[in-house]
Amino acid sequence: MARTPNRSSQTNRFLAAMLEDPLAWRYGYELLKKTGLQSGTLYPLLMRLSDQGLLEAQWREPEKAGKPPRHVYRLTPTGLVLARAQALPIAKPGIVNKWAGAKV
Amino acid sequence: MSGGNRRRIASALMRHAARIMPAARAGWSAAMESELGLIEDDNVALRWALGCVIAGYREWVSDMVLLRTWYARSALACLIALLALREFFAPLLIFAYRMQYMGLAHFLGLRTAGDDYRRFIPIMDATPSWLVVLWVASGLLYLVALWQMLRRSGASHVPFFLGFGLEFAGMLAIQSLETSTGVTVGPIPLIRAAGYFLTFSVGFVLWRATRKNIGAAS
Repeated sequence: MARTPNRSSQTNRFLAAMLEDPLAWRYGYELLKKTGLQSGTLYPLLMRLSDQGLLEAQWREPEKAGKPPRHVYRLTPTGLVLARAQALPIAKPGIVNKWAGAKV
Repeated sequence: MSGGNRRRIASALMRHAARIMPAARAGWSAAMESELGLIEDDNVALRWALGCVIAGYREWVSDMVLLRTWYARSALACLIALLALREFFAPLLIFAYRMQYMGLAHFLGLRTAGDDYRRFIPIMDATPSWLVVLWVASGLLYLVALWQMLRRSGASHVPFFLGFGLEFAGMLAIQSLETSTGVTVGPIPLIRAAGYFLTFSVGFVLWRATRKNIGAAS
């Protein structure tokens, strides 16, 4: 029995942000700024999508020495299909989290 | 509050988030923590860490509700076992009374309101055999649900709700017997309703856990 895809506004916002550049790997903090979601909403969403096979995640070595490795995320082909079906009609590019203005 | 203090609080919050996050999600808390180290603004870092604590608790609650933790499963198992025992109690008392096992009847009577089985004699005499079978079947279905839940072998909510349905039918039947014999065996309606609500809630948790676990596996 397949799980019904989540249709919450947060999921739609996330999928819309991922569709801006579907093949790019994204950092967690970068996604937070793009979607305007807070980490307490964003990470459970990432976990759930990853559990459903809609999102792939991997560790990436830091660009600067002395910094920790980072987790990056990208939609899987199944996730892209869902995103295109669900998020495109309401995509709102350019959403910026007003409190997350610091440089990463 | 100085920037250094905010950063220290953020680090403490992040450690707390990592502690409460279920073990299966340890990689995710490490991911959140690595991002924190790269956020330069202390206010943003503090908000980030607060959000991570919320995420940690959300996963912890989710694990509890979906019965992924041993203590949540154990608590629910005890509750279902108690429900089954409750269904077997009346048949056992009736059996002891009718077979003249007075010691057992007295022992069971001490566990009822009034401490004496003899006040139930009119209703025990009036109880038809099919109602006793109904109670036993309900208890057995609860035990099947318990077994399936512990083994994670199937949709445990199905036997549970079947048992609940039989229990409810039995309650309707016993109410008419209470009226005809003038003997009250159940608690006051409010407590009875609360009991059924609790039983229904257990079934709901089982259904949700089955649904989510199947969804995660597919």
